Amino acid sequence: MTSQYLSQLHTADKLAAEPWPEDATLYQPYEAEQILLPENASCLAVKAYLKMCNLPFGIRSCANAEHMSPGGRMTKLPFIRAGAFIFAEFEPIVNFVEQKDLAIGNWQDEDEKADMRTYVSLVENIFTMAELYISFKNERVYKEVTAPRNGVVFPWPLNHMQNYGKRRNALRLLKVYQWDDLDIDSVIEKVAKCCETLEYKLKESPETPFFYGDQPCELDAIAFGHLFSILTTTLPNMALAQTVQKFKHLVEFCRFVDEKYFQTRCLPN
Amino acid sequence: MPKSGRDGGAPKDSKYDLSKISARVDRVNVSGLLRTHNDYVMRAADGLFKANNFQDLMLEAMSTKSYLHELGIFKDVSVHIDVSRGTDASPQGYEVTFKGNEMSRMMGSAGTEIGQNEGSLRTELTIPNILGRGESISLQGSYSSTRANDLQLKFWKPFFHTRFKENRPEMSFSIFRQTDRYDISSFKSTNLGYLVDFSAHTMVGVDLTHSLQYENSIRDVGLLNKSVPFGIREHCGPKLASLLRYSVVYDNRDGNVFPTRGVFLKSVNEYCGLGGNVAYTSSTAHGELNVPLFAGLVAQFCGRVGVVKETKNTTQLPINSLFYCGGPLTLRGFKFGGAGPVIDGTPIGAQTFWCTGAHLWAPLPFAGVFKNLASHFRMHFFYNIGNSNSFSTENMRSAFGMGLAVKLAERARIELNYCVPVRRQNTDNILNGFQFGIGYEFV
Repeated sequence: MTSQYLSQLHTADKLAAEPWPEDATLYQPYEAEQILLPENASCLAVKAYLKMCNLPFGIRSCANAEHMSPGGRMTKLPFIRAGAFIFAEFEPIVNFVEQKDLAIGNWQDEDEKADMRTYVSLVENIFTMAELYISFKNERVYKEVTAPRNGVVFPWPLNHMQNYGKRRNALRLLKVYQWDDLDIDSVIEKVAKCCETLEYKLKESPETPFFYGDQPCELDAIAFGHLFSILTTTLPNMALAQTVQKFKHLVEFCRFVDEKYFQTRCLPN
Repeated sequence: MPKSGRDGGAPKDSKYDLSKISARVDRVNVSGLLRTHNDYVMRAADGLFKANNFQDLMLEAMSTKSYLHELGIFKDVSVHIDVSRGTDASPQGYEVTFKGNEMSRMMGSAGTEIGQNEGSLRTELTIPNILGRGESISLQGSYSSTRANDLQLKFWKPFFHTRFKENRPEMSFSIFRQTDRYDISSFKSTNLGYLVDFSAHTMVGVDLTHSLQYENSIRDVGLLNKSVPFGIREHCGPKLASLLRYSVVYDNRDGNVFPTRGVFLKSVNEYCGLGGNVAYTSSTAHGELNVPLFAGLVAQFCGRVGVVKETKNTTQLPINSLFYCGGPLTLRGFKFGGAGPVIDGTPIGAQTFWCTGAHLWAPLPFAGVFKNLASHFRMHFFYNIGNSNSFSTENMRSAFGMGLAVKLAERARIELNYCVPVRRQNTDNILNGFQFGIGYEFV
């Protein structure tokens, strides 16, 4: 498939050549009424990343954001429209920014970068799966939060059909990652382990605020997105938040990033 | 049997004037009713008893026969007329017997359909006359190379046996799943829902066919490829439509496909927004006037106009309810949807459109030699004018040309035309040369 490769190269060239568009827009579901925990986490991660890169972008909330998205590996959200290009989810968006040489983390050497990518992938997989698990597999959370929120933009009976479809897709994804037959304790255990790894990484450079020294990188953005969402989302089952709360350094890290880039100050002391 | 009917209808040709022979129908028998209830065919005889001469009797017998066919219970019907015998027989008494052959419990059919550049396989399974009064169920499916599978399950019940027999009232309920591909705009719409339909004729002054429908469906807009303008992408996702549709048809032409005289008028009006989250009103009108000239030539004038409007509740006009102008059925000489607005180089439908066509239809030269075959063919010269999103004649599109048309099964028409676009706009997709078209309603 030479032609495909060539066209990819061509696209990459074009991407690098053009400056960051002024009207770059991030599309996401309605935050107050609609968005679900896994989607909120990935949207927040992307927003944090773009803010860390100091790139201007607008945010548009629309009810059918997920259907407009060109698709992705997990939540399909958020997606960003920059000029003629549309990218969905954290990794493709990060790659897009990097091709423009606007990315943070250019100071890192190759080894450090590879190391960091491992952490990013670990954080994304573990937390997204845990969030999907709690949202769709926990009956109470599904009934009281996930289903009403996901269906809020659709009239009856379309909301039930959409909920059914969404849950089926989420369960299928959990099955692919072999999370479907876990019980809640094993999920907590996995999350705790991941937090432990992160906290250990954070403690490697105790006097600097970020994971890799003085400057933020992708890992800071994605870890903040997931941890902050888990900590600030009220669910009937707060097991995930309680687990994360045990790691004081991570909570402190979230408070710091929030203060620096968002100023929502909604983390409880 | 049809022969005797025709003789009766043209008494001047025959030796005897049948209308002078008095006749009275004593008895009407309908035989062959196995599953059908007797009361369902009761009104078949209404007209026959009113006949008072033999010609009327013949004509009434024929119309009763076609009425029995319309009831949808018989595969075929034959008529027997005999003098009535017995003790209570009147002097000029006749006895009319209709021998029907009921349809089998289940009927299946399979066939191919040709659409816009695609072939599809269509299968249909019908269970006629389930409850004995014409109630039927059919399951229709079509599978094609490019489209998703379409399915329709329909239940219908005619009320031809009631005192509104003349109005031919009919109710139907169908559940459907259908995919419409708008390749030119790179999106498709998958509709899943149900439809309740009530149709009837009225004969107050003019004959009109009315149909009132209620449709409730989920319309899911999806994209067909990756690089789609954002204006189209914004419409993605499922929506619930709940709409009333009223259509009325007036038709006094002498043929569906190649009429030589008469007028055809049709109007479809939709009001969407009875619940659900799609809101719009849509109206289309289609008209056709045929005037016979000399030597088998027919002049035909067609026109069509459509308007989609926002209602109070509209947030966004649905992209799949817009009109596409251009193509062999509307503006010949343009590609399908090629004479409308574009966003980022991709055509999308228009909120309003109009187009007109003037045709001169002629039979093929030497048509007399192969009479039967030639009746399926016509030649025509046409001139089409139309426009999208504007009712002024400035910047309009027009094309002319000539071509050959073939009749397909008394309903559809296939055209092969050589088209020359005359006036166009910069963004239009034209087709200068041969164009192929198939459809039911042309402009």
